[in-house]
Amino acid sequence: MKILCSILGLLCVGALPSFAHADDLLPASTPINEAIDHYIRKAWADEKIQPAARITDANLIRRLTLDLAGRVPGMHETKQYVASKSPRKWTDLVDRLLASPDFVYHHSNQLDEMLLPGDYNGGGDWQEYLRAAAKENRSWDKLFREMMLGVENDDAQKTALSFVRLRGKSLDDLTNDTSVVFFGVNIGCAKCHDHPLVGDWLQDHYFGMASFFNRTYMTKKNTVAEKYDGLVKFKTTSGEEKQAAFMFLTGTTIKEPAVEKTAEQKKAEAAEVQKQMKDAKAPPAKTPGFSPRTKLVELALKAGEDQFFARNIANRIWSRFMGHGLVHPLDQLHSENPASHPELLDWLRRDLAAHNYDLKRLIRGIVLSEAYARSSEWTQKIEKPAPEHFAVATTRALTPKQYGLSMVVSTSNPDDFDKKLQAENWADERKNLENAANSLASLIEYPGEYFQIGVDEALLISNSDRIQNNYLRDSRDRLLGYIKTLKTPKEKIDAAFWAVYSRGPESEEAAAFEQYLSKRDENDDNWKQILWALIAGPELRFNY
Amino acid sequence: MRNNFCGSPEHGVSRRGFLGTAAAAGAATLGADMTALDALKSPAMAGELKRKQKNVILLWLAGGASQLETWDPKPGRPTGGPFAKIQTSAPGVEISEMLPKMSKMMGNTAIIRSLNTRVGDHGGGAALMETGRAREQGVQHPDIGAICARELGRADSQVPDYVSMYTSTEGRRKGTSGYLGSRFAPMFLAESMIPQNIRRLETITDVDHKDRAALRDLLAKRFTRSRTSSTVGSHTSAYQRVRGLMASEKLFDIEQEPAKVREMYGPRQFAEQCLIARRLVEAGTPFVKVARAWWDSHGQNFETHQELCADLDHAMSTLLTDLKDRGLLETTLVITLAEFGRTPNINPSLGRDHFANAWSMSLSGCGIKGGTFYGKTDPDGQTVVDGETKSGDVFATIFRALGIDHEKEYHIGARPIPIVDFGCKAIEEVLA
Repeated sequence: MKILCSILGLLCVGALPSFAHADDLLPASTPINEAIDHYIRKAWADEKIQPAARITDANLIRRLTLDLAGRVPGMHETKQYVASKSPRKWTDLVDRLLASPDFVYHHSNQLDEMLLPGDYNGGGDWQEYLRAAAKENRSWDKLFREMMLGVENDDAQKTALSFVRLRGKSLDDLTNDTSVVFFGVNIGCAKCHDHPLVGDWLQDHYFGMASFFNRTYMTKKNTVAEKYDGLVKFKTTSGEEKQAAFMFLTGTTIKEPAVEKTAEQKKAEAAEVQKQMKDAKAPPAKTPGFSPRTKLVELALKAGEDQFFARNIANRIWSRFMGHGLVHPLDQLHSENPASHPELLDWLRRDLAAHNYDLKRLIRGIVLSEAYARSSEWTQKIEKPAPEHFAVATTRALTPKQYGLSMVVSTSNPDDFDKKLQAENWADERKNLENAANSLASLIEYPGEYFQIGVDEALLISNSDRIQNNYLRDSRDRLLGYIKTLKTPKEKIDAAFWAVYSRGPESEEAAAFEQYLSKRDENDDNWKQILWALIAGPELRFNY
Repeated sequence: MRNNFCGSPEHGVSRRGFLGTAAAAGAATLGADMTALDALKSPAMAGELKRKQKNVILLWLAGGASQLETWDPKPGRPTGGPFAKIQTSAPGVEISEMLPKMSKMMGNTAIIRSLNTRVGDHGGGAALMETGRAREQGVQHPDIGAICARELGRADSQVPDYVSMYTSTEGRRKGTSGYLGSRFAPMFLAESMIPQNIRRLETITDVDHKDRAALRDLLAKRFTRSRTSSTVGSHTSAYQRVRGLMASEKLFDIEQEPAKVREMYGPRQFAEQCLIARRLVEAGTPFVKVARAWWDSHGQNFETHQELCADLDHAMSTLLTDLKDRGLLETTLVITLAEFGRTPNINPSLGRDHFANAWSMSLSGCGIKGGTFYGKTDPDGQTVVDGETKSGDVFATIFRALGIDHEKEYHIGARPIPIVDFGCKAIEEVLA
């Protein structure tokens, strides 16, 4: 019966994914981490899954620091955390990291990669804009508004418009990227035909969404402007010509108010657009009375229509920390691809919308959940549960920036790093680190879905002189220099592991290293090789 | 069951075909199905494969070579230009007198004269001809080199499986492995004739280099013991290939060739790169791209082609001869291709502009019926009148020639993507 209902429900709702009812959800006052654990645990019980063990403290601070600060923790940072007896240490660490300049850099880098991925380059102003937004924890709906509707004569808003500007020459890019990034829906398929298996997506939706961008154009000055008229026509697969409505993904349409225009008015408007397109000295473009792009933003954020907007960002943030979306892939938010934990996604959506789309608050809730703190090691005899159960943590490849930063931090003199971290000007130091990380980061590929590490990277780490002469440099400010100041091989091996892997060596590892040393003449280069073996290992390459 | 792919009947994907492939591949996604390749590690299978190892050398004529000065001359017509055509060693096949050496050895080469690919800008044209399909929102398609690397290469290969070189900076396009991932990305020769980071630094001895790698492997083993994923696995296999690839450095060193062979190829860079390409395929590299630039002759088309055609004619004929002498031509497909051709109309600067509506390419060697041509343009070369060929048809033909299943599909998640674009088919007439 339940199944029948849900099928019927689906048919009736049509374009809307089915939603849980608000009164079925946990109370809105439940702390986020508790709500997460409630739903995740319930599903484990239903599926009879015994989740992986809780991670160690050393593992937790590494995971948290990578996720919130974009880098591995320094050696002393890790050791202090592990040694602390405070019952609040997890929460305190999360709050310290969220308040740090590290978070501003890392969060804005992540937003940048989501908004302008791949070859798009927003430039320094764009990154500055995102950092400012991350610093003041500007709400996601406000960012969305700024990015879609910023005005050109305001510096910050002009920069925000880069999302549109860089895609301004392609209606398809604007239409699909906006749908993917802000609504979690890849409707590219529906351009040529109604989606064969997803009842939600019709050509009407694709061209409906395209209608909102159809009048957007780039002026000769490379500013974003909108035309006064223009409708999208398309051919259905049966060859019928159709005129698209201004239709949002929910199926809701907007009517353009009928305005009587004289032939002269129309001519003047067309001339104005022509001038904007051809003349770099034209005065700023005027805003037409009816702006489809504005209508899209208004509609997408309207109560009742905002499920896509809210679910998408909740799902994307979840996936960033948990390694897998509640809806996965992230751009397939539709009724044929239900969430693994529909009630949880609904609860998070409701919570986010009720709290002004405060992403930092959501992030804090996720990383304080028990679900977040599962080990990535699967040691049970039975097969590892699929990722959508979140029963065992995903081993995630670092982003190029995370890897670059982690390489710099882990090979720095741990005392020096700790001093910098404690100093008042840590924000400046963090900025320097960001720049230092780029030399490696620029050579590493961004990990997408099905990411595979190529041999180019292995060759780079193995044979590039930047690894040898920079990270493994025998100088006081480097880890190698620090290790030389220590006395016994045991102390040295210990420090090497704590600095690079944020943990002490296992006995088998220590034994192997001692054996390695015993076979060789005493030589400073031995320690260089040992450090290389550590930094080239997968343990530094992944957030596990 | 979750369905989230676009398997439209209009796009010609049979539902049964999809299910069949999906079932065969199991839950394996692109990255994960290295397991299939791993089966080849068994010596018997590997030997079988080696015997059948197929290779590709792509001579990319960057900027767009003129079909009228190469494979489809129209002398005596208003569009023909000053050069004559010559009868080749293949009866009935005539090419431009700009390619005299090639004219004597067309027995292994088929010309396609009927490309109509429509895209006439450098970036768009190159992307179309490299990937065999129009750019698609949200999907990064792999290029021909990455597909061949994946289909013809071996998981544990000790040589690079996709190498990309170029002469003169305009030809610099690295190529992309798209959704196939960086495992199949080209090894790109950017700053020198030797790939980056393939050589051990002088500051470390070979023994130290080897020993520290063993130490690294030990750490990696512990880490990966209870953490299995295709991404983690790719890290392991990337490092496993390092020492083997370093040993392949000598393949890039043409000094190792006998003086006679060096002389045959001569001192020009394009020919020398063709020699490197030959050394690579001989050692088992499945795909090598050598880009020769810059054919973009908007002005002085004929002078430009005099120089570049001479270079192409010499390098290509030498390469084909060398491959044949070594018994490698049967298993090596040599392609000339570009982003587009050039306009039949000659502009006031005596140049020819971008033209994608009726242009030519060539296929030689492996799987190709030589001494033929396919397709026809009108007397002035303005339009295709017979055998219109799209970029996807070219890809289907190439795959068929190499014995790659051209109806195969890759999967991004659950979405099937055929390796040859919808509605495209191989040109049987040029296949052996």
